[in-house]
Amino acid sequence: MGSVGLTLPWEHKLSSVARDGEQRVEPFEGQTEPIRTSEELPQDAAIAAACLSGNLQGYERLYHWQGTRMKNLARNLLGSQSDAEDAVQETFLKIQRSISGFRGQSSFVTWTFRILVNTCHDLRRSRLRRKDRANEDVDELPPRLELRAPGAHPSLRMALERALAKITAHQRDVFLLYEVEGFRHAEIAGMLAISETASKNTLFQAKKNLRTMLEPPRSSATGGAQ
Amino acid sequence: MNISCNDRERILLDGSPEEWAALEQHAGTCAACAEELRAWKQLSAAAEGMRDYQESPALWARIETSLRQQQAALAPRKSVWSSFDFLRHAGNLWQSALVGAMVVALAVSSGYLYIHRGGSPTDPGNRLLRTSALAEVERAEREYMAAIDKLALDAGPQLGADTPLMASYREKLVVLDSAIADLRAQAGENPSNAHLRKQLLAMYQEKQQTLQDVLETKR
Repeated sequence: MGSVGLTLPWEHKLSSVARDGEQRVEPFEGQTEPIRTSEELPQDAAIAAACLSGNLQGYERLYHWQGTRMKNLARNLLGSQSDAEDAVQETFLKIQRSISGFRGQSSFVTWTFRILVNTCHDLRRSRLRRKDRANEDVDELPPRLELRAPGAHPSLRMALERALAKITAHQRDVFLLYEVEGFRHAEIAGMLAISETASKNTLFQAKKNLRTMLEPPRSSATGGAQ
Repeated sequence: MNISCNDRERILLDGSPEEWAALEQHAGTCAACAEELRAWKQLSAAAEGMRDYQESPALWARIETSLRQQQAALAPRKSVWSSFDFLRHAGNLWQSALVGAMVVALAVSSGYLYIHRGGSPTDPGNRLLRTSALAEVERAEREYMAAIDKLALDAGPQLGADTPLMASYREKLVVLDSAIADLRAQAGENPSNAHLRKQLLAMYQEKQQTLQDVLETKR
Protein backbone atom coordinates (compact mmCIF):
# COMPACT_ATOMS: atom_id res chain seq x y z
CA MET A 1 0.00 0.00 0.00
CA GLY A 2 1.36 3.36 -0.88
CA SER A 3 1.40 6.34 1.39
CA VAL A 4 -1.62 8.51 1.44
CA GLY A 5 -0.98 12.14 2.15
CA LEU A 6 -3.19 13.68 4.80
CA THR A 7 -3.66 16.93 3.03
CA LEU A 8 -7.39 17.41 3.26
CA PRO A 9 -8.37 20.82 4.50
CA TRP A 10 -10.11 20.97 7.83
CA GLU A 11 -10.43 22.93 10.94
CA HIS A 12 -8.80 21.71 14.09
CA LYS A 13 -9.39 22.57 17.62
CA LEU A 14 -8.22 21.22 20.90
CA SER A 15 -10.93 20.11 23.22
CA SER A 16 -11.50 22.88 25.70
CA VAL A 17 -12.62 20.43 28.35
CA ALA A 18 -10.30 17.61 29.16
CA ARG A 19 -11.91 14.30 30.09
CA ASP A 20 -10.48 13.49 33.48
CA GLY A 21 -7.20 15.02 32.46
CA GLU A 22 -7.12 13.32 29.07
CA GLN A 23 -6.55 15.54 26.05
CA ARG A 24 -8.52 14.36 23.05
CA VAL A 25 -8.04 16.02 19.69
CA GLU A 26 -11.26 17.35 18.23
CA PRO A 27 -10.70 17.71 14.50
CA PHE A 28 -13.95 19.36 13.48
CA GLU A 29 -16.09 22.12 14.82
CA GLY A 30 -19.44 20.79 15.93
CA GLN A 31 -18.33 17.16 15.76
CA THR A 32 -20.56 14.76 17.64
CA GLU A 33 -19.04 13.97 20.99
CA PRO A 34 -18.20 10.35 21.72
CA ILE A 35 -20.50 8.51 24.07
CA ARG A 36 -19.61 9.40 27.64
CA THR A 37 -20.24 6.33 29.72
CA SER A 38 -19.22 7.92 33.00
CA GLU A 39 -22.05 10.40 32.65
CA GLU A 40 -24.50 7.55 32.37
CA LEU A 41 -23.51 5.47 35.35
CA PRO A 42 -27.04 5.31 36.83
CA GLN A 43 -28.31 3.87 33.55
CA ASP A 44 -25.36 1.49 33.51
CA ALA A 45 -26.18 0.22 37.01
CA ALA A 46 -29.90 -0.09 36.26
CA ILE A 47 -29.28 -2.16 33.15
CA ALA A 48 -26.79 -4.36 34.98
CA ALA A 49 -29.36 -4.98 37.73
CA ALA A 50 -32.06 -5.84 35.19
CA CYS A 51 -29.77 -8.27 33.38
CA LEU A 52 -28.72 -9.82 36.70
CA SER A 53 -32.36 -10.48 37.55
CA GLY A 54 -32.78 -12.31 34.24
CA ASN A 55 -35.04 -9.65 32.77
CA LEU A 56 -34.69 -9.62 28.99
CA GLN A 57 -35.71 -5.97 28.94
CA GLY A 58 -32.34 -5.25 30.55
CA TYR A 59 -30.60 -6.74 27.54
CA GLU A 60 -32.87 -4.81 25.21
CA ARG A 61 -32.00 -1.56 26.97
CA LEU A 62 -28.32 -2.42 26.72
CA TYR A 63 -28.76 -3.08 23.02
CA HIS A 64 -30.56 0.19 22.36
CA TRP A 65 -27.98 2.06 24.39
CA GLN A 66 -24.76 0.45 23.14
CA GLY A 67 -25.76 -1.90 20.30
CA THR A 68 -24.72 0.31 17.38
CA ARG A 69 -21.49 1.20 19.11
CA MET A 70 -20.79 -2.49 19.73
CA LYS A 71 -21.55 -3.33 16.12
CA ASN A 72 -19.34 -0.51 14.88
CA LEU A 73 -16.37 -1.70 16.94
CA ALA A 74 -16.95 -5.29 15.85
CA ARG A 75 -17.12 -4.26 12.21
CA ASN A 76 -13.87 -2.31 12.51
CA LEU A 77 -12.21 -5.29 14.19
CA LEU A 78 -13.61 -7.93 11.84
CA GLY A 79 -14.07 -5.99 8.63
CA SER A 80 -17.49 -7.37 7.86
CA GLN A 81 -21.03 -6.31 8.71
CA SER A 82 -22.36 -9.86 9.02
CA ASP A 83 -19.42 -10.98 11.19
CA ALA A 84 -19.98 -7.89 13.34
CA GLU A 85 -23.64 -8.79 13.87
CA ASP A 86 -22.64 -12.36 14.74
CA ALA A 87 -20.13 -11.00 17.25
CA VAL A 88 -22.69 -8.72 18.88
CA GLN A 89 -25.20 -11.56 19.13
CA GLU A 90 -22.61 -13.91 20.62
CA THR A 91 -21.58 -11.18 23.07
CA PHE A 92 -25.15 -10.86 24.35
CA LEU A 93 -25.37 -14.63 24.78
CA LYS A 94 -22.08 -14.66 26.68
CA ILE A 95 -23.31 -11.84 28.90
CA GLN A 96 -26.44 -13.84 29.71
CA ARG A 97 -24.40 -16.95 30.48
CA SER A 98 -21.91 -15.16 32.72
CA ILE A 99 -23.97 -12.33 34.18
CA SER A 100 -23.84 -13.95 37.62
CA GLY A 101 -20.08 -13.41 37.54
CA PHE A 102 -20.40 -9.66 37.08
CA ARG A 103 -19.21 -8.13 40.35
CA GLY A 104 -19.49 -4.46 39.43
CA GLN A 105 -15.74 -3.91 39.65
CA SER A 106 -15.98 -2.04 36.37
CA SER A 107 -18.95 -0.42 34.67
CA PHE A 108 -21.35 -2.79 32.95
CA VAL A 109 -20.51 -1.19 29.60
CA THR A 110 -16.79 -1.76 30.17
CA TRP A 111 -17.50 -5.38 31.06
CA THR A 112 -19.69 -5.76 27.97
CA PHE A 113 -17.05 -4.34 25.64
CA ARG A 114 -14.40 -6.57 27.17
CA ILE A 115 -16.53 -9.57 26.22
CA LEU A 116 -17.14 -8.08 22.78
CA VAL A 117 -13.43 -7.55 22.08
CA ASN A 118 -12.62 -11.11 23.16
CA THR A 119 -15.49 -12.45 21.06
CA CYS A 120 -14.20 -10.56 18.02
CA HIS A 121 -10.73 -11.99 18.56
CA ASP A 122 -12.18 -15.49 18.84
CA LEU A 123 -14.18 -15.02 15.65
CA ARG A 124 -11.18 -13.66 13.81
CA ARG A 125 -9.04 -16.60 14.93
CA SER A 126 -11.68 -19.11 13.87
CA ARG A 127 -11.99 -17.33 10.54
CA LEU A 128 -8.21 -17.54 10.09
CA ARG A 129 -8.25 -21.24 10.93
CA ARG A 130 -10.91 -21.81 8.30
CA LYS A 131 -8.82 -19.89 5.80
CA ASP A 132 -5.73 -21.85 6.79
CA ARG A 133 -7.55 -25.07 6.08
CA ALA A 134 -8.61 -23.71 2.72
CA ASN A 135 -4.97 -22.69 1.98
CA GLU A 136 -5.95 -19.14 1.44
CA ASP A 137 -3.82 -16.08 1.93
CA VAL A 138 -4.27 -14.79 5.48
CA ASP A 139 -1.72 -12.02 5.48
CA GLU A 140 -4.12 -9.15 5.56
CA LEU A 141 -6.43 -8.32 8.44
CA PRO A 142 -9.25 -7.65 8.21
CA PRO A 143 -9.61 -9.66 5.00
CA ARG A 144 -12.31 -7.60 3.40
CA LEU A 145 -13.53 -4.07 3.88
CA GLU A 146 -17.16 -3.49 3.12
CA LEU A 147 -18.75 -0.34 1.83
CA ARG A 148 -20.12 1.98 4.45
CA ALA A 149 -22.46 4.84 4.51
CA PRO A 150 -20.75 7.89 3.04
CA GLY A 151 -19.06 10.00 5.67
CA ALA A 152 -16.45 12.68 5.92
CA HIS A 153 -13.34 12.08 3.83
CA PRO A 154 -14.04 8.49 2.66
CA SER A 155 -10.65 8.15 0.97
CA LEU A 156 -8.86 9.05 4.17
CA ARG A 157 -11.02 6.63 6.13
CA MET A 158 -10.29 3.81 3.70
CA ALA A 159 -6.57 4.55 3.86
CA LEU A 160 -6.75 4.44 7.63
CA GLU A 161 -8.64 1.13 7.55
CA ARG A 162 -5.93 -0.40 5.40
CA ALA A 163 -3.22 0.99 7.65
CA LEU A 164 -4.99 -0.35 10.72
CA ALA A 165 -4.81 -3.82 9.20
CA LYS A 166 -1.03 -3.58 9.33
CA ILE A 167 -0.45 -2.60 12.94
CA THR A 168 -0.61 -5.08 15.80
CA ALA A 169 -4.00 -6.32 17.01
CA HIS A 170 -3.34 -4.78 20.41
CA GLN A 171 -2.58 -1.36 18.93
CA ARG A 172 -5.63 -1.65 16.70
CA ASP A 173 -7.86 -2.46 19.67
CA VAL A 174 -6.65 0.53 21.66
CA PHE A 175 -6.84 2.92 18.68
CA LEU A 176 -10.39 1.89 17.79
CA LEU A 177 -11.61 2.00 21.38
CA TYR A 178 -10.09 5.42 22.05
CA GLU A 179 -10.23 7.30 18.79
CA VAL A 180 -13.32 5.80 17.20
CA GLU A 181 -15.51 4.73 20.13
CA GLY A 182 -14.42 7.47 22.48
CA PHE A 183 -13.57 5.40 25.54
CA ARG A 184 -11.20 6.75 28.18
CA HIS A 185 -7.86 5.11 28.84
CA ALA A 186 -9.14 3.97 32.24
CA GLU A 187 -12.05 2.20 30.53
CA ILE A 188 -9.82 0.68 27.85
CA ALA A 189 -7.47 -0.55 30.58
CA GLY A 190 -10.41 -2.37 32.15
CA MET A 191 -11.50 -3.87 28.84
CA LEU A 192 -8.10 -5.11 27.75
CA ALA A 193 -6.75 -6.01 31.21
CA ILE A 194 -3.83 -3.59 30.92
CA SER A 195 -2.77 -0.53 32.89
CA GLU A 196 -3.91 2.95 31.99
CA THR A 197 -0.32 3.88 31.21
CA ALA A 198 0.01 0.88 28.91
CA SER A 199 -3.14 2.02 27.12
CA LYS A 200 -1.66 5.49 26.59
CA ASN A 201 1.65 4.09 25.39
CA THR A 202 -0.07 1.65 23.04
CA LEU A 203 -2.21 4.41 21.55
CA PHE A 204 0.86 6.57 21.07
CA GLN A 205 2.72 3.76 19.29
CA ALA A 206 -0.35 2.97 17.17
CA LYS A 207 -0.66 6.59 16.05
CA LYS A 208 3.04 6.85 15.32
CA ASN A 209 2.89 3.72 13.18
CA LEU A 210 -0.27 4.85 11.39
CA ARG A 211 1.17 8.29 10.82
CA THR A 212 4.30 6.72 9.29
CA MET A 213 2.21 4.54 7.02
CA LEU A 214 -0.19 7.25 5.95
CA GLU A 215 2.21 10.16 5.64
CA PRO A 216 5.95 9.70 6.09
CA PRO A 217 7.70 12.67 7.67
CA ARG A 218 8.54 15.23 5.05
CA SER A 219 11.79 16.15 6.67
CA SER A 220 14.11 14.78 9.34
CA ALA A 221 13.29 17.76 11.49
CA THR A 222 9.87 16.37 12.23
CA GLY A 223 11.41 13.53 14.26
CA GLY A 224 9.20 11.29 16.32
CA ALA A 225 7.51 9.46 13.47
CA GLN A 226 9.27 6.13 13.53
CA MET B 1 4.33 27.81 29.70
CA ASN B 2 7.47 27.54 27.59
CA ILE B 3 7.93 24.33 25.67
CA SER B 4 10.33 23.19 22.97
CA CYS B 5 10.30 20.62 20.18
CA ASN B 6 11.77 18.11 22.64
CA ASP B 7 8.55 18.23 24.66
CA ARG B 8 6.37 17.34 21.68
CA GLU B 9 6.30 13.54 21.98
CA ARG B 10 5.75 13.62 25.69
CA ILE B 11 2.78 15.95 25.22
CA LEU B 12 1.38 13.84 22.38
CA LEU B 13 1.66 10.80 24.63
CA ASP B 14 0.13 12.16 27.81
CA GLY B 15 0.09 15.93 27.92
CA SER B 16 -2.14 18.02 30.12
CA PRO B 17 -4.60 20.48 28.54
CA GLU B 18 -2.25 23.33 29.42
CA GLU B 19 0.67 21.56 27.74
CA TRP B 20 -1.42 20.92 24.63
CA ALA B 21 -2.33 24.60 24.49
CA ALA B 22 1.33 25.49 24.83
CA LEU B 23 2.23 23.06 22.05
CA GLU B 24 -0.39 24.66 19.82
CA GLN B 25 1.13 28.02 20.54
CA HIS B 26 4.63 26.72 19.87
CA ALA B 27 3.45 25.16 16.58
CA GLY B 28 2.53 28.64 15.42
CA THR B 29 6.23 29.44 15.13
CA CYS B 30 7.70 25.93 14.54
CA ALA B 31 7.03 24.30 11.16
CA ALA B 32 8.14 20.81 12.27
CA CYS B 33 5.88 20.76 15.29
CA ALA B 34 3.02 22.27 13.29
CA GLU B 35 3.35 19.49 10.70
CA GLU B 36 3.48 16.77 13.34
CA LEU B 37 0.52 18.21 15.21
CA ARG B 38 -1.49 18.49 12.01
CA ALA B 39 -0.81 14.84 11.09
CA TRP B 40 -1.68 13.74 14.61
CA LYS B 41 -5.02 15.51 14.45
CA GLN B 42 -5.75 14.19 11.00
CA LEU B 43 -5.50 10.66 12.35
CA SER B 44 -8.18 11.46 14.90
CA ALA B 45 -10.28 13.05 12.16
CA ALA B 46 -9.95 9.95 10.01
CA ALA B 47 -10.90 7.81 12.99
CA GLU B 48 -14.11 9.81 13.30
CA GLY B 49 -14.95 8.62 9.80
CA MET B 50 -14.88 5.04 11.04
CA ARG B 51 -17.76 5.75 13.37
CA ASP B 52 -20.89 4.50 11.64
CA TYR B 53 -23.70 4.01 14.11
CA GLN B 54 -26.41 2.84 11.75
CA GLU B 55 -29.11 0.57 13.13
CA SER B 56 -29.52 -3.00 11.93
CA PRO B 57 -33.31 -3.37 12.08
CA ALA B 58 -33.40 -7.16 12.40
CA LEU B 59 -30.46 -7.59 14.73
CA TRP B 60 -32.24 -7.10 18.05
CA ALA B 61 -35.01 -9.53 17.08
CA ARG B 62 -32.35 -12.11 16.28
CA ILE B 63 -30.52 -11.51 19.56
CA GLU B 64 -33.74 -11.60 21.57
CA THR B 65 -34.75 -14.94 20.07
CA SER B 66 -31.38 -16.49 20.89
CA LEU B 67 -31.46 -15.00 24.40
CA ARG B 68 -34.89 -16.53 25.04
CA GLN B 69 -33.73 -19.91 23.78
CA GLN B 70 -30.64 -19.80 25.96
CA GLN B 71 -32.67 -18.65 28.96
CA ALA B 72 -35.02 -21.60 28.51
CA ALA B 73 -32.07 -23.96 28.24
CA LEU B 74 -30.44 -22.52 31.35
CA ALA B 75 -33.65 -22.37 33.39
CA PRO B 76 -33.63 -25.87 35.02
CA ARG B 77 -30.04 -25.51 36.09
CA LYS B 78 -30.63 -22.02 37.35
CA SER B 79 -33.73 -22.86 39.37
CA VAL B 80 -31.73 -24.97 41.82
CA TRP B 81 -29.35 -22.18 42.69
CA SER B 82 -31.69 -19.28 42.24
CA SER B 83 -33.30 -20.18 45.57
CA PHE B 84 -30.03 -19.18 47.23
CA ASP B 85 -29.64 -15.91 45.30
CA PHE B 86 -31.02 -13.91 48.21
CA LEU B 87 -27.96 -14.94 50.25
CA ARG B 88 -25.82 -12.72 48.05
CA HIS B 89 -27.68 -9.69 49.20
CA ALA B 90 -28.05 -10.74 52.84
CA GLY B 91 -25.66 -9.37 55.42
CA ASN B 92 -22.98 -11.46 57.12
CA LEU B 93 -25.06 -11.70 60.29
CA TRP B 94 -28.05 -13.13 58.47
CA GLN B 95 -25.87 -15.52 56.51
CA SER B 96 -24.25 -16.75 59.75
CA ALA B 97 -27.65 -17.14 61.42
CA LEU B 98 -29.00 -19.11 58.48
CA VAL B 99 -25.99 -21.40 58.37
CA GLY B 100 -26.29 -21.94 62.15
CA ALA B 101 -29.96 -22.84 61.83
CA MET B 102 -29.15 -25.30 59.08
CA VAL B 103 -26.45 -26.94 61.22
CA VAL B 104 -28.86 -27.28 64.18
CA ALA B 105 -31.56 -28.76 61.96
CA LEU B 106 -29.06 -31.21 60.51
CA ALA B 107 -27.82 -32.22 63.99
CA VAL B 108 -31.36 -32.76 65.30
CA SER B 109 -32.44 -34.84 62.34
CA SER B 110 -29.21 -36.89 62.49
CA GLY B 111 -29.74 -37.52 66.22
CA TYR B 112 -33.32 -38.62 65.64
CA LEU B 113 -32.27 -41.02 62.91
CA TYR B 114 -29.46 -42.39 65.10
CA ILE B 115 -31.76 -43.04 68.04
CA HIS B 116 -34.41 -44.62 65.89
CA ARG B 117 -32.09 -46.45 63.56
CA GLY B 118 -32.98 -50.05 62.65
CA GLY B 119 -34.83 -51.91 60.01
CA SER B 120 -37.57 -50.51 57.94
CA PRO B 121 -41.05 -51.36 59.18
CA THR B 122 -41.97 -52.49 55.72
CA ASP B 123 -39.11 -55.01 55.54
CA PRO B 124 -40.43 -58.36 56.87
CA GLY B 125 -36.94 -59.49 57.89
CA ASN B 126 -36.28 -56.36 59.94
CA ARG B 127 -39.72 -55.56 61.21
CA LEU B 128 -39.94 -54.58 64.90
CA LEU B 129 -41.65 -56.91 67.37
CA ARG B 130 -44.52 -55.62 69.42
CA THR B 131 -44.26 -56.00 73.20
CA SER B 132 -46.56 -59.08 73.46
CA ALA B 133 -44.84 -60.86 70.59
CA LEU B 134 -41.47 -60.09 72.13
CA ALA B 135 -42.56 -61.76 75.39
CA GLU B 136 -43.59 -64.88 73.51
CA VAL B 137 -40.29 -65.06 71.65
CA GLU B 138 -38.33 -64.65 74.87
CA ARG B 139 -40.37 -67.40 76.50
CA ALA B 140 -39.70 -69.74 73.56
CA GLU B 141 -36.00 -68.96 73.78
CA ARG B 142 -35.99 -69.78 77.48
CA GLU B 143 -37.69 -73.14 76.75
CA TYR B 144 -35.13 -73.89 74.05
CA MET B 145 -32.31 -73.04 76.41
CA ALA B 146 -33.72 -75.25 79.12
CA ALA B 147 -34.18 -78.12 76.69
CA ILE B 148 -30.69 -77.61 75.30
CA ASP B 149 -29.15 -77.59 78.77
CA LYS B 150 -30.92 -80.88 79.56
CA LEU B 151 -29.78 -82.43 76.27
CA ALA B 152 -26.24 -81.17 76.78
CA LEU B 153 -26.19 -82.83 80.19
CA ASP B 154 -27.34 -86.14 78.70
CA ALA B 155 -24.97 -85.92 75.74
CA GLY B 156 -21.94 -84.90 77.81
CA PRO B 157 -20.40 -88.36 78.28
CA GLN B 158 -20.98 -89.24 74.64
CA LEU B 159 -19.36 -86.00 73.38
CA GLY B 160 -16.24 -86.68 75.46
CA ALA B 161 -15.46 -89.82 73.42
CA ASP B 162 -12.19 -89.61 71.48
CA THR B 163 -13.62 -90.40 68.08
CA PRO B 164 -13.52 -88.39 64.84
CA LEU B 165 -17.32 -88.21 64.76
CA MET B 166 -17.56 -86.76 68.28
CA ALA B 167 -14.68 -84.36 67.56
CA SER B 168 -16.69 -83.11 64.58
CA TYR B 169 -19.79 -82.70 66.77
CA ARG B 170 -17.75 -80.82 69.38
CA GLU B 171 -16.41 -78.43 66.75
CA LYS B 172 -19.90 -77.88 65.40
CA LEU B 173 -21.23 -77.13 68.88
CA VAL B 174 -18.39 -74.65 69.52
CA VAL B 175 -19.28 -72.80 66.32
CA LEU B 176 -22.98 -72.82 67.24
CA ASP B 177 -22.27 -71.56 70.78
CA SER B 178 -20.14 -68.73 69.33
CA ALA B 179 -22.89 -67.75 66.90
CA ILE B 180 -25.53 -67.91 69.64
CA ALA B 181 -23.39 -65.68 71.91
CA ASP B 182 -23.00 -63.08 69.14
CA LEU B 183 -26.69 -63.10 68.30
CA ARG B 184 -27.69 -62.82 71.97
CA ALA B 185 -25.38 -59.83 72.35
CA GLN B 186 -26.96 -58.11 69.31
CA ALA B 187 -30.47 -59.06 70.46
CA GLY B 188 -29.67 -57.56 73.86
CA GLU B 189 -28.98 -54.21 72.23
CA ASN B 190 -32.00 -54.39 69.98
CA PRO B 191 -34.49 -56.82 71.53
CA SER B 192 -37.33 -55.92 69.16
CA ASN B 193 -35.43 -56.91 66.02
CA ALA B 194 -37.42 -59.85 64.68
CA HIS B 195 -34.70 -60.83 62.21
CA LEU B 196 -32.14 -61.27 65.01
CA ARG B 197 -34.63 -63.25 67.08
CA LYS B 198 -35.36 -65.60 64.19
CA GLN B 199 -31.67 -66.23 63.61
CA LEU B 200 -31.17 -66.87 67.32
CA LEU B 201 -34.02 -69.38 67.41
CA ALA B 202 -32.59 -71.09 64.32
CA MET B 203 -29.26 -71.46 66.14
CA TYR B 204 -30.99 -72.91 69.20
CA GLN B 205 -32.86 -75.37 67.00
CA GLU B 206 -29.62 -76.32 65.26
CA LYS B 207 -27.86 -76.87 68.59
CA GLN B 208 -30.81 -78.87 69.89
CA GLN B 209 -30.78 -81.02 66.75
CA THR B 210 -27.01 -81.52 66.99
CA LEU B 211 -27.26 -82.67 70.61
CA GLN B 212 -30.10 -85.02 69.69
CA ASP B 213 -27.90 -86.43 66.89
CA VAL B 214 -25.16 -87.05 69.45
CA LEU B 215 -27.59 -88.91 71.66
CA GLU B 216 -28.83 -90.92 68.65
CA THR B 217 -25.31 -92.22 67.99
CA LYS B 218 -25.35 -93.76 71.50
CA ARG B 219 -28.45 -95.71 70.67
